Order: sequence, then structure tokens, then C-alpha cells
Amino acid sequence: MIRQRPQILLFKLTLISALLSAVSLPDIVQSAAPFWILIFFTYWLIYAETKAVYTFALLLGLLLDLLHGNVFGQNALALIASTVFILNVKKSFYVSNLSTQQVYVFVASLIYLLITICVHWITQGFDFSYLIFLAPLTGAILWPIVHFLLAKLKR
Amino acid sequence: MRLLKPLLPALISIILIVLDARFSTLDNLKRNSTTLLSPIYFVVDLPGQMMNWVSDKGSDTEQLISENEQLTNELFELKAKLQIYNNLALENQKISRLIDASYTLPANAVKLARIKSIAQSRLKRQMVINKGSNDNILASQIVLGANGVVGQIIQSTPFYATVQLTTDPTQHIPVKNVRNGARGITKGLAANKSGMKVEFMPSDADVKLGDIFVTSGIGQSYPAGYPVGEVVEVSTPHDEAFLLIRLQPLEDMNELEFVLVVSEPL
Repeated sequence: MIRQRPQILLFKLTLISALLSAVSLPDIVQSAAPFWILIFFTYWLIYAETKAVYTFALLLGLLLDLLHGNVFGQNALALIASTVFILNVKKSFYVSNLSTQQVYVFVASLIYLLITICVHWITQGFDFSYLIFLAPLTGAILWPIVHFLLAKLKR
Repeated sequence: MRLLKPLLPALISIILIVLDARFSTLDNLKRNSTTLLSPIYFVVDLPGQMMNWVSDKGSDTEQLISENEQLTNELFELKAKLQIYNNLALENQKISRLIDASYTLPANAVKLARIKSIAQSRLKRQMVINKGSNDNILASQIVLGANGVVGQIIQSTPFYATVQLTTDPTQHIPVKNVRNGARGITKGLAANKSGMKVEFMPSDADVKLGDIFVTSGIGQSYPAGYPVGEVVEVSTPHDEAFLLIRLQPLEDMNELEFVLVVSEPL
């Protein structure tokens, strides 16, 4: 479990993920990049014991919506839905090896992606770069690295 | 009970989505909140600013840098203004009295802004510039590049503004064909890397590959005569009343460094 206060770790993770997701990348890389905030939040959910996780998910999602100019609430809804999944598999996630964790991250990212696309479809039409479908895969692939680096950060 | 916990936050999210997408009630709240996030933009853009700074320091003298910057800015503005004269020359060749493309930018009506290296939503086509409401950059103002229209300001905070590109699916521009004046409306195609399509052009309209579409000025949202894109595909879908026309923007959005914001009312 986490040694420092969960809220402090969440603040650090939020800052890093907000900075990472705001870094400008080439179009192709940008579209296929992982959902950083979801991945970092997943780490926090698994390794921190805290209450009001859905409120944090809502606030983080709204922060991302503001930062990226999305429809207000779009990322918040997606993050809440992914949080439901992560909390349901939390015990298994905690004791699983990295490859099983990658599968969980992939599914959580897929839920996030589907919700985001559904909201986009309803509000602005079904028109976006299909490279975005790679995002859950890249998230799952990068999970071991993120996990390793965040383990250092939480100490 | 376990599933009831996320219900309230989810409901709040859905209400916010509806309020934001269907109404404009959250605009002020979003603008003020985004202003608070300016430090994040600043930190993300810091490496880019450092690169520019190092690049500038690399020159021999400060005067040289200053002159060079001034000349580049002037050249950029002149190139943008030249577009209108090229278009007028073409119009005159056709001796068309009906098409009014005599729009010119009033003096001091444009502001030069630098593109910031800050990522925006991957589902949208947007970018951030380094001028905001402190420089009188306001929502709905038009953004031009050296080769044509870039987009429109959709949000302005004191230090930054967000530009929605012409290639965004929610961006529509009234355009006309330079060759024959045939009118239509563009719509961005996000699925395509940097494309647009022209809608509502009848299937018997005269459109050829390589034709240039410019802003028509209808609706007063965009000044007339600015290049928008070149036709790269024309086809007539079966049983459709309108042509399928795909445009390639004349302005390469990935290579933009500076843009001009038209800050005076048209």
C-alpha cells in the first residue's frame, strides 16, 4: 500500500498526467497515445486506500475536459465508468502479475474510449481519427513502465 | 449498493454534457476555470519557449534578431493581404459584377500570434495560441495563415486562446469556387488527417480537380476571398443530389508557427 497520504499522491499523479496529456505530439502519435489520466488514476485506485473515489474521478475528468477543450463532462463520465470496472477487479488487480494487469488496463481504457466516443458521437457526430482505437493498446503496453516509475514516485 | 455510489457523479457528468453541448450556460464557468489552468499550459510550453530563446540567442547581434523578426512579421502580414489581391485579379478576369470580394483588412485589424505546443482533444481539431483576451482576442474572431484560412477562435483566456481549425467537423465555412463562383459550405473531416468536404453543391455543378475554393463572405462570419482549400477529389454518389467534393487545406496546419488573428469586426 501507499506510504504517503493518498491525496498527496493523487495530486502528484494528476499534475504529471495533466502535463503529459498536454504535451503536443505529431497527429498520429497524439491519436494513439494512452489515456494518461486513466492510467495514473488506475494506479492510484489500486494502491491507495481512500474514500470518495468517484468524486475524485469526476473532478479529474472535468479538469481534463477543460485542459483539452472537450465537451464538459465527457472525460469525467468516461473516467467514472472506468473506475467502476477497476474497483470491481481491484483485489484481483492487486495480486495479479503485470501481464494480467495489462489486460485490466486494456479493458478499462476500452471502456473509457467507448464512453468518450459515444459522447462525441451524440454531441458532434461520428467523425474522428480511427487511430484513437489504438489508445487502449498503447495504454496496456506502457503499463509496466508506468507502474515501475510510479512505484518509485510513491516512496 | 456498490453501483449506486457512482450514480450521482455520473449523473452530474451527463447533466454537464447536456448543458455544455446543447446550451451555452457553462461558457463563463469554463473560461474562468481554464484561466486557472494557464500555469499548466505555461509549463508544457516551456521547452518550446526555451528552444525559441536559444535559437534567438544564437544570432550575432540583438539588432539583427529584432530586424529579422520585424521583417518576418511584415512579410507574413503582406502575404496574407496579398491573397485578397490575387483573388481580385481572378475575379476581374471573369468581369463578374455580381461577386463582391472587395473585402480588405482595416489597418491594425490583425494581430500576430504564435502557435503554442500544447495538445488539445484528440477527437477535435484545435490548437492554442499565445494571445488571449488581454490582447483583445475574443471568441468568434477569424484566424489566418500566410496561405489561407486557419480557423476561428472558440475560447479566449487572458493569456491564451483556442483556435478551432477549418478541418474540425463542427467548423463550417461558406465558400465559392474561384474559377466559376459556384458556392457551397465546407465541413471538416476529422477522420481524414487534414481534409474538408464541400457540401450542398448540386451534382451538375462545374467542379474540377485542382479548383481552388475561397471564402465567399456569405453570413459575414469569414471575410471574402481567402483561400480555404484545393479540390483533390470529385465524385457523384449514386442517387445523390449533391457532389462529393474533398478539399485539401492550402495551409499546412502542422507547419504553422505564426497566425494572424483578425481582431476588428468585419
